[in-house]
Order: sequence, then structure tokens, then C-alpha cells
Amino acid sequence: MLYYWKCIFLVFDISSVLKFILFSAQACADVLALAKEARKRNLGPLHPSFNVIKIIRDGLMRNLPENAHQLSSGRLCISLTRVSDGKNALISNFNSKEEVIQALICSSFVPIYCGLIPPSFRGVRYVDGGISDNLPHYESKNTITISPFAGECDICPKGNSANFHEMIVTNTSIQLSLGNLYRLTQALFPPEPKVLGEICEQGYSDALKFLKENGILNDSIYIHLSFTKRNPHEVAQHVDHMKKKKKTENNTIETLKMEVLNDQPKQNPWPLEKSIFESLPPRLRKALQEACKEQNGFYAQFSKLFPMRVISYLMLPYTLPVESAYSVALRLVNWFPDMPADVRWMQEQLCRIAGTVYSQAKSKLFCMSRKDNYASLRKCQTVPSAMEFHSSYCHLKMPHSSADLETRLWEPSCFMHSAMKNASANMQEHSDLNSYPNFLPNSDESGLEIDFDSSSETSFQTAPEY
Amino acid sequence: SRFLEETCSDGGWLFSWLPAWCPTSLLHLKEAEDKMLKCIASTYNKRYVYISNGNKIWTLTFSPDLSHKTPLVLLHGFGGGVGLWALNFEDLCENRPVHAVDLLGFGRSSRPHFDTDAQEAENQFVESIEEWRKEVGLEKMILLGHNLGGFLAAAYSLKYPSRVKHLILVEPWGFPERPDNAEHERPIPIWIKALGAILSPFNPLAGLRIAGPFGLSLVQRLRPDFKRKYSSMFDDNTVAEYIYHCNVQSPSGETAFKNMTIPYGWAKRPMLQRIPQMDRDIPITVVYGARSCIDGNSGSTIQSLRPNSYVKTIAILGAGHYVYADQPEDFNQKVKDICDSVD
Repeated sequence: MLYYWKCIFLVFDISSVLKFILFSAQACADVLALAKEARKRNLGPLHPSFNVIKIIRDGLMRNLPENAHQLSSGRLCISLTRVSDGKNALISNFNSKEEVIQALICSSFVPIYCGLIPPSFRGVRYVDGGISDNLPHYESKNTITISPFAGECDICPKGNSANFHEMIVTNTSIQLSLGNLYRLTQALFPPEPKVLGEICEQGYSDALKFLKENGILNDSIYIHLSFTKRNPHEVAQHVDHMKKKKKTENNTIETLKMEVLNDQPKQNPWPLEKSIFESLPPRLRKALQEACKEQNGFYAQFSKLFPMRVISYLMLPYTLPVESAYSVALRLVNWFPDMPADVRWMQEQLCRIAGTVYSQAKSKLFCMSRKDNYASLRKCQTVPSAMEFHSSYCHLKMPHSSADLETRLWEPSCFMHSAMKNASANMQEHSDLNSYPNFLPNSDESGLEIDFDSSSETSFQTAPEY
Repeated sequence: SRFLEETCSDGGWLFSWLPAWCPTSLLHLKEAEDKMLKCIASTYNKRYVYISNGNKIWTLTFSPDLSHKTPLVLLHGFGGGVGLWALNFEDLCENRPVHAVDLLGFGRSSRPHFDTDAQEAENQFVESIEEWRKEVGLEKMILLGHNLGGFLAAAYSLKYPSRVKHLILVEPWGFPERPDNAEHERPIPIWIKALGAILSPFNPLAGLRIAGPFGLSLVQRLRPDFKRKYSSMFDDNTVAEYIYHCNVQSPSGETAFKNMTIPYGWAKRPMLQRIPQMDRDIPITVVYGARSCIDGNSGSTIQSLRPNSYVKTIAILGAGHYVYADQPEDFNQKVKDICDSVD
């Protein structure tokens, strides 16, 4: 659900205000259709035949205009998470409609839930931006933030809770309340269309409330609705025109909105009753109503009967393998074009994992063979302040000063160098500690063992300070 | 919940091994506070002010020599302490003395046992503020409270109106009543309600103490925003450490707060019901962050409840619940303007 929401918001972004209504009805219907698809089977979205990425891709392919990349470049930022380093990337330039869609697909890809092989954009593997930064902020105070969870946001559902405790998950503020817990569960396992319709209505009225409270919405609702009567071509032209205008203007959404909204009433006045302010626009309402309509066919009615549902659950162990095999075959066929690239990527990943394991294992073996050198080196590194205390040991064991010892060890073997670098970069303090007991029992010098323990403990205790 | 209350107090004989579970002490808190305040250039003095029952209130005083001006008294919010005003002291103390206190049961002040009755606990808070005022020797003050501090500042002004020249409520907690039409909203599944019922007897921050040695990283993980808010002053985890040590001590003020609430987060004795009884000569300013989840409508409701008195509402753009840390310049300027209007 999280990304069903996201799709709505993205479409909202692309189309800016004018095309919003045109799209929103269709997008809303699509989201509801997707949710219905997810709920169709017994296992919900976990059923193997539910291919959410394909549904989203087809929907975007159908609904986005051919010049989507021109409309969105420089105005739409898509937040992605790079798989290789887990860092966030904001994509805002697109060369073709396919690129826009591919970026959106990457941005919708929740690992494991959507599949195992992350999609790639311009040759780099990305997954859902929500993993690194779910709500990118500009520094400007004017950024209007929208969030599906109650929290510190401009437009968000207001729960019936006065709790001021919140947590921040990848930049999204989430109030600690039961309502938000419920919303989290709804995110991946969509509720029935009626509830989704209510959520949609709530989102609409929250946004409307925000616009009213901040004086952004004057007579604008007229224009929104009037545009639904125009044809898409005209609207696209208008958006182009707007874009040119915008380049000269300050790039905040507010000024843009105000400008366009003030321009329009003279051309196309279409006043509506007051009631429209309180509820959804008719197109959206119609789309929602149609999506909520139950299937009336004989089979649909029949399969909803209680005994039939029980039977379908009981049959699950038999039907599931067949359906799985079918959907796997289907996915394999769809996968053919991307297969070489994906296989190459998997090979790279496997090689990298194997390489890491190998080098770590090797470094540990290496440590075992030269454990006393390694241990005294560590001592110098982690607890420099304790050197006076340990210095007697060092002098007893080898006649080098600590500084000498370090250079002596670093220079001759570059492998030792790389192993240490690896250890300091990748391993945390406690994983280091875990590795010592492996060889300590073999140690003949019990003095070293005690000494070593005390030094590691001091380093561990000081660690939480920072 | 009683068990949890005692879990981390170092007094219990049964739990004498437990202090090691939460790596904290008053000394840790003192060090964390010193780190919070080390960037403040203006001079100030800090001391304990002794009040009745052997309790003491930790107090910071800025610009004490400007005593001809009405002093500004800062009351922090739930789970906070004087250190959180670090971004505000220097600006606010330019023209007048500023006193910041750790509320009774919070921060470095004493952590006594509060009455379980909401009214009685509130009274204990209010009396501690009044005794503190007598001890410090202030005749009148401008009272500014954030969150729980806002609630207590209003409660104090109700009881001792002659001492308050202006009341500034910053994102005050506990003003509106719990709405009755809870069932009007979308129904929440029973298992989630059950979870809420299981968790509700616990103190709000009990999880932090249960987490023990992992508590500090929990604060850092769940509230990375604090680091961002104070990034102009610190680029390390100073704020998280301060908040951690403030809240992981024995939970006395926290328990009192819990006894003053009904699920989820609403006040047992909402302040809006009592606002009409407030002295009509006390001007009130409500400051709230435009993005906060606490409803900013309290200001207009207070206005409608006090038609013949001065009530002003100020929204700070781009700020959340911690207005004074989110947009310190805006906040300081607004508060200074209010104070300058007093004298």
C-alpha cells in the first residue's frame, strides 16, 4: 500500500495541479484495482501469481502521456536507494517516458515483497527510496510535506490521539499511536476497496483543509474542475506554457499554483455548489464508486459463499503448487529480455560475497598464526592510554617500542595491512571481540590472555560514550 | 508498572544489580548537560534552589544584573530539561534575566514520589514552581512553557495570577478534551486495540529503561531529528545523550505525567475547561509549529473562551513540536517581541 500511495503522490507531482484531476481519477481507479488484485487470492499479496511490479508498469505505461519525461524533468524528483552502498539518490532528469517509468518501478520495489532481483535504472540497481530517505526535504520552509502516517507533516491524516511521542523512520515522522500501527499493517496488505475509498476521501479532505488553512486555495476549486472538461491535449499544452513561465519564477509550488489559479477564472468560469468543497470531485467519486462495486456475476456470488471459501482454503495445498508453477513459468518468459543482465549481476554479487568471506577467513587464519603480534598491535591501537600499564609486557615479549612495533608490522606484509583495514572498516568492536576467543584457548601464554581481556573490556566500555 | 518504575532506581535493595543495566547516573547527566551548554557564550550561573520536603530545583540564570526588567521563566516539556533551550538562551537573555528550571521530577531536579491522583500531582508541580519563585525572589514573571511545561504554566497562572505578567504557551500539551466521537472514525482492528490496552499501563518511556545499555542507541535510532535540529551547535550525539540520561533515571515526573493522562495522550483534566476561570488581565500568547501533530486550534479556542482578554496565536513555519529547536531564530525573535511588549 505504501507505494500505491506513492504512485498517487508521484502522479500528483508530475501533473502538477492542473492535470491532477484528470489523472487522479484514473490513478485512483488503478490503485483500487491493484488492491483488489492483491486481495483476490487466499494468500493476498503473498500469492505467487500477484506480480505487483508488472501491474504498476502496465498502469503507468497506459496512463502517462508520451511526453512524460519532458513534463517531469527537473520538476519531479524520485527518491531511490542504491543497492551497492545503501545510499539515497534523487533522480530528476529523464530522457524518455520509459526512463520515468523505470525510475518509478525502482522506487516502488520493496525488496523480498516485490521480488529478489532489484530492478536497474541506467545500469545501476536501485530499490525503494523509503529504505534510505522516505521523505526528502528541501531546506526551504515552503516544501509541502505529505505523509500517509500521522506525524509532523503538512498534509497527513490526523489521528484521534494527542500523543506527542513520535519516531523518525528514514526521515518520515510517525506519531506513536494505534492509528499509525493500523496504517502500517495496511501498507503492505491492502484492506477492502471500501476502506481504501475512505482513505482516499480522507486524504483529499486533509489536503483541502491544508490548502484552505494556508490561504493557497481561493477560488481555485473552480478551475480544477473546469479542466476536467478540457481534452488532455489542451492541458498538456497548458502545462508546457506553465513550465516556461515557471523558469522565470521562483520554483516554489505555491507561487506556481497561485499564478495559474489566478489566471484562469476569466476564461472558463464554471461555478459549482458549495457542497463540492466538502466532498470529492465527481470524477474521483465515480471512479471510487465503480471500483467499490462488487462483482455481480454468478461465479463471483457463488465463490463468496462460506462453504466455498472453506473449500478453497482446504484446497490450497493442492492448488497452490499448480498456480505457482504456472506463474513462475509466466515470470520466466517475461524475464527473458532482462535475464543476461540479471544473471551477470547475481554472479557479481556472489563473487563479492565469496570474496569477502574468503578474505575474512584468510585474515582470521593469518591472525591465528601470528596471534601475539596481532594482539599487541591491537592493544596499541584501541587503548593507547593503557600503554603504560601494558608496557612491561611489551618489553618482556619483544624489545620494541610500540611505535616501532607498528611500523615493523605494517611494512613487510601488505596483506596484513589490507586485513587490518578490512577489520577496522567492516567489523564492529564486538565482532572483533567475538573472534578472539576462537584462538585464545589455544594460547600457551596465559598471561597474554588475561592482559588481552582487560584491554578489550576497557575499549568496549568506553565505546558507548560516543 | 510499579516494577518498571523501580527497575532503574538505584535505591531498591532487590534491584541493586540493576543500575548496571542502564548505564546512567546523576554524574552522567551532569556531564551530558555540561556538553549541551558548553557552546553558550553568555555568562550564567547554575545552582540548586531548595524548596520544601527536601526537594531541590535545578536552575540556570542568565543576565541576573538586568533585574529591573521582568524576568522570563522557561519551563521545559515532558522528558526534557534546561539543556534543550541551548539554542535560545543567548538571544532571549539580551534584554532581561532568563531563568530556566528543570521541573520537579525531571532533569537534574529532585525526583520525589508524586501523588497518583491527577489533581494532586498537578498541584505538587504548581506548588514546586511557586516555592521556587519565592526562594529566588521574583515578584512577577513572564512564564513560558513548552508541552507539559505549557500545561503547568497555565495551571500556575490559574492559581497565582498575580505573579504572571504574560503567559506564553509553546505547543502546550493537555488543552483539548478527548473527543467523544472516537467511534466515528474508521474502526481499528481488535488486535491493535488489545496491543494498546496491554501497553497502556506502562510509563511512556519504560521501553527506554528496559532497553538498558541499548537505550542510547535506541534514542539515536528513533530520534535522529534531534541531531539535525541542534546541528548548528553539535555534530555528535550530545543531544541524544542528554535526552537519554534525562529520562532513564527513576521516572518520577514521568509517572506523574502518566497519572495525569488518559489514553492516548489526552489530559485527564483538560486545560480548556478551566481557561475561562483565568484572570482576564493575564495576556496569553500561543506559539505552535505549523507542522506539529499537536492541534494548533487551541489558540483560537482559548480566544473564544476569553473574549475580553488578550490572546494571540503565532504559527512558526517549518517547525514541528520542538518549535524552539526547529526554527530557533524565528522563535527567539517572536518571544523577544512578546517580552518587549511587557516592558
